[in-house]
Amino acid sequence: MTLLDITELKTYYRADDGWVRATDDVSLSIDRGETVGLVGESGSGKTTLAKSIIRLLPDNAEVVDGSIDFDGTEVTELSNRELRKQIRWSEISMIPQNAMNGFDPVYTVGEQIVEVITYHEDTSKAEARERARTLFDDLGVDPDRVDDYPHQFSGGMAQRAMIALALALSPSLVLADEPTTALDVVIQDRILETIKELQEELNSAMIMITHDMSVVSETCDRIAVVYGGRIVEIADAETIIMNPRHPYTLGLRNAFPDISDDDQELISIPGTPPDLVDPDDGCRFAPRCPFAEEECWEVTPEPESYGDGHAVECHRADEIEHLQEEAGKKETWVEQDLGRSEEIEPSPPEEVELDD
Amino acid sequence: MGLRAYVARRILQLIVTFWAFFTLLFVLFRMMPGDPTSMFIMDGMTPEQREQRIAELGLDQPLYVQYVEYARQLLTGDFGQSFIYRDPVIDIIVVRFMNTIVLMGTALVIAYLIGITFGAIMGWWRDSRFERGGIVVTLIARSSPEFWVGIVLLSVFAFWLGWFPSSGMRTTGGELGGGFVARYGSADFLRHLFLPALTGAIVYLATPTLLMRSTMLDVLNADFIEIKKAEGLPERTVLYKHAARNSILPIVTVMAIATGAAMGGSVVIETVFNWPGMGREMVNAVNNNDYPLAMAAFFLMGSVVIIMNFIADLTYVYLDPRVEYE
Repeated sequence: MTLLDITELKTYYRADDGWVRATDDVSLSIDRGETVGLVGESGSGKTTLAKSIIRLLPDNAEVVDGSIDFDGTEVTELSNRELRKQIRWSEISMIPQNAMNGFDPVYTVGEQIVEVITYHEDTSKAEARERARTLFDDLGVDPDRVDDYPHQFSGGMAQRAMIALALALSPSLVLADEPTTALDVVIQDRILETIKELQEELNSAMIMITHDMSVVSETCDRIAVVYGGRIVEIADAETIIMNPRHPYTLGLRNAFPDISDDDQELISIPGTPPDLVDPDDGCRFAPRCPFAEEECWEVTPEPESYGDGHAVECHRADEIEHLQEEAGKKETWVEQDLGRSEEIEPSPPEEVELDD
Repeated sequence: MGLRAYVARRILQLIVTFWAFFTLLFVLFRMMPGDPTSMFIMDGMTPEQREQRIAELGLDQPLYVQYVEYARQLLTGDFGQSFIYRDPVIDIIVVRFMNTIVLMGTALVIAYLIGITFGAIMGWWRDSRFERGGIVVTLIARSSPEFWVGIVLLSVFAFWLGWFPSSGMRTTGGELGGGFVARYGSADFLRHLFLPALTGAIVYLATPTLLMRSTMLDVLNADFIEIKKAEGLPERTVLYKHAARNSILPIVTVMAIATGAAMGGSVVIETVFNWPGMGREMVNAVNNNDYPLAMAAFFLMGSVVIIMNFIADLTYVYLDPRVEYE
């Protein structure tokens, strides 16, 4: 059953030199209880996409077009009050990257959990406190620590406390923005496990934002690969890991170690993320793509379906065998002249009139 | 280290600070040129009379004897006799000090209440007309000299509109009540208090406003503010309970220092409004070489600074759980 249905969403930022198209024409739907990973580099627009859902965008950002249907409610059309009462936290909550900074330092963690419970529900403070303690217990934190201040927690403990806060109202959707990036790998693993368990228990859906392929491969049912404000490839987790079709996904996979492969050489993708201020037509990955052809520079690729919900935005996705083979070689990704093969004659600089 | 140990340590520090302060004060006064008799020489005081007077005041004793004697007197709450008034210093100064506390206390409370609220809202509504206008108004208030603000208020409200009296603390010939409430709570007194207190409030307003605004801007960037908004809490809760509550911490320190300084009285405000407070008394005492009076005045003023800092430190522990008791 579909819980969240995002259609052709465009969230832009106003900048001095035009609109930054941080989320450009993104469609994504999520079922109840499902976990979807959003993977991509910093600045690819994954966080903007998530924040659009709960409408927590900075003042200079705007949902220009598209619809966000959350369980039958059009989020983009709610008044601020309705949004606060009906959607925020009670239905959609979030786990920030750095939990320590996610709590107000001058109140105890328990007070903050109680605050949000009693605001949204007709619950007494004592009951709310009891729920906070139970959540702490579920998350493997000593319940007595609800009376501690955030700075008294270790990083991992704070993250667990944050998860307790996020799940306090049993939301249908949790937006987890790099929830484990600030933690070491062992704790990261345990926390991901805990999130997973509780999420299944509450039947909450989750959007897991990360740049870490290994995190999504462990926790997500489906993975959406985000590049330059667009979802360039989406499929179930196994397909994305084992059988991706987009060159960017292939590149991402190369950049992360595979524990089962001893001789694997990590290969990075050369170049930098694209400038999203009023981009030209054409595939946004083309400037960094070793397989870019003339068409890639001219025509923006549309999502192409490859069955079982696997969709790819790439003109050459059909030549998958060849691409996969080539992508595994280091030479392919060496920063060669990745520009257009037929360089267009550079136009002579325009004459500039100088004011006297 | 627990809270109790922390407080105990701070009290110990307080005592040491007091001792250092008092010693410094003593040395400072002994280094000042002139002595209380120089005022009388013109009046034809003979050298013998002068010697006698100095002996009477104990100024012929060795310094350490004077020091011990002064320490002993202070501990018993005895500030000695004023050289000029020939009255116990304590009687003169307590009245002046209360007058100043009432005037400056009122001014500070108004300034900090308005300033904190105003600054918080300015930070919250960043880049709005309200913020830009607010900064201009605040800067004008900050750059206006005290005497000018006082004179403007006087000419408008006292001389032109005639709503408030122009000087003093009470109408001449008015009944002087005995108790504190009767003295400082009467309608007549409050009418006299209004203009000088307003002048002080305007002068003191800028610091809390601008400080609050800039701290708010920092705090509003913090992750937890975003989480509180995501929690769906009403804007007012996020603004006051979380953003402003966190921004108020540096204000506490500034407020302590400002209060301490204000208790010395503002010579300018007291002069403009002819207010019988500490500031003017202190200047007179120094001009007249009235050691005991001046020393007591400085001692009181310094004590307030020290005590206010002590209170600020304790308040900080209460306001910010992150303060380590180290």
